[in-house]
Amino acid sequence: MSAQGNGTESPRRRVELDPDTVERDLARLVLTVVELLRQLMERQALRRVDTGELTEDQEERIGVTLMLLEDRMDVLRDKFGLEPGDLNIDLGPLGPLLPRGD
Amino acid sequence: MNELLYVYAVTRPFEGGVPAAATGVGGLPARPVEHNGLVAVVSDVRAEDFEEAPLRERLEDLEWLAATARAHESVVRAVIAVTGAVPLRLATVCRGESGVRRLLDEGNHRFTTNLDRLEGRVEWGVKLYAEPDPEPDRAPATAPAPAPGQQTHGGEGAASPGRDYLRRRLRSRQSREKSWAHADALARRLHTELSRCADGQRLHRPQSGQLARASGVNVLNAAFLVRREESDAFVGQVERLTPRDAGVRVELTGPWAPYSFADLSDPPDAPPPSHQDEQEAHEGRAGT
Repeated sequence: MSAQGNGTESPRRRVELDPDTVERDLARLVLTVVELLRQLMERQALRRVDTGELTEDQEERIGVTLMLLEDRMDVLRDKFGLEPGDLNIDLGPLGPLLPRGD
Repeated sequence: MNELLYVYAVTRPFEGGVPAAATGVGGLPARPVEHNGLVAVVSDVRAEDFEEAPLRERLEDLEWLAATARAHESVVRAVIAVTGAVPLRLATVCRGESGVRRLLDEGNHRFTTNLDRLEGRVEWGVKLYAEPDPEPDRAPATAPAPAPGQQTHGGEGAASPGRDYLRRRLRSRQSREKSWAHADALARRLHTELSRCADGQRLHRPQSGQLARASGVNVLNAAFLVRREESDAFVGQVERLTPRDAGVRVELTGPWAPYSFADLSDPPDAPPPSHQDEQEAHEGRAGT
């Protein structure tokens, strides 16, 4: 980024949509959203397990669902060559989209 | 005299000139400009880089910014080796030596107060990183499938993989929360204890994203102003407070020129100098 200084946009915040990587980039975006939802669901489930408001049956069903979802996410991530850390977006002053360390 | 001068630091007049080791931005040597009992350490810079409009673009360029910051730091470091100095903000630029003299005149009071306050003192940076166990249970935790008919402890076995999964997730979440709490407590303790053996402290925003290259999450990013002769004691104190256990990492950097403690903001009673009209001095604001 030395000679072509005519782009007014900051080079590091730009969403890259290169034809060669567009599939992977879209997958990354979609998987990020799914990962966020998965984590929200898990959090909610754990809270309800904690308060003991679920029957054993319900706990079992939710647990299996979340487990499968996690497995599935791993598979999809691998397929597009993404690391867990890739499914996170830096929102600048608001911090990362997904909680730190998760 | 229209060329642009990059100003690194302001000092009182000193013997011997700027050390030859001080190579400025773009590889040009730094030199002193003396005026009215103060000295500005400057070097020539190219207008293509440092005129107001191109500079704004340049500041977005991390590589350029890093090179400039290194040159800035190397000059400031060479200068504080020979005299007390107030380091200026990155990319402070004046138009010609007359612009430099104006900068010294306008800031005379601020510079002298800062020089008095910072005399004989250096800055130490202390960062604390939390490195919680990534995913203690994430490993093939589903693997230990109990042999058929065999009851595992507590009656939870292969019969309820879903509930086991939830329990494992709960445990790992709890252990992670515990290590965050631990790091948080340590951050407070470091800050309190170290503030006691320093003349001043500043808390910076913890680094994240691109700036945080190190592993772990930066939970404390503090700067301490310490007398040069008390530096050893300060470093010893940091070592004493650094726990041996895993999960946290303390990073000590310095001694730096007192960047974080050079207070060059305008005093509340003085009207702000109007640089904008004449473009005599414009300061680039590099996000820290």
